Amino acid sequence: MTELAAVAAIYPNIKNIGAEVLAISTDSVHSHQVYKQTTPALHDLGFPLVSDRTHEISRSYRVLDSATGTAYRASFFISPDQVIHAKMIYPKAIGRNIPEHFRLLQALQYNKETGQAVPVDWMIR
Amino acid sequence: MSEDLFIKPAQSKEFYATRDDKAPFFSADAVDGSEIRRIRLDEFKGKWLVLFFYPSDFTAV
Repeated sequence: MTELAAVAAIYPNIKNIGAEVLAISTDSVHSHQVYKQTTPALHDLGFPLVSDRTHEISRSYRVLDSATGTAYRASFFISPDQVIHAKMIYPKAIGRNIPEHFRLLQALQYNKETGQAVPVDWMIR
Repeated sequence: MSEDLFIKPAQSKEFYATRDDKAPFFSADAVDGSEIRRIRLDEFKGKWLVLFFYPSDFTAV
């Protein structure tokens, strides 16, 4: 399974806690459309695929691999007032841990609501 | 809120966003459902948001 398919699978849970996802690559919108149409797991994708054709977004978040013109595997967690609270950057050949994305979103919300710190490996039961 | 409050890469080549920074504003075309539409970061104010950058469509990982 690809990273995007894994995000698509967990997306209903993300939506359920009131959070959203934007997937971003330097591909064209046409490429995104064909990719969705030809990938069964992405047919009914609930979140947008953003086309960073100008590389401006990837550059401003410092995740542009200028040698290949592609973005790193990078995730940013942005609060409701649009401040970056966490970021993770993975090696090109290593897929991310998608359940950890969901856990981190829940933990960020919990921390913001309660002011409580969130311990190692914390999970909502 | 005005876009002027966001630091744009064109205005400051040295600035790169990291933790505790205001998320740099962007707007770009996106495939959303079966539509192509312009997406703006500030549409998502009021919600936690994950920006999920990935290298390219049609890769195995």
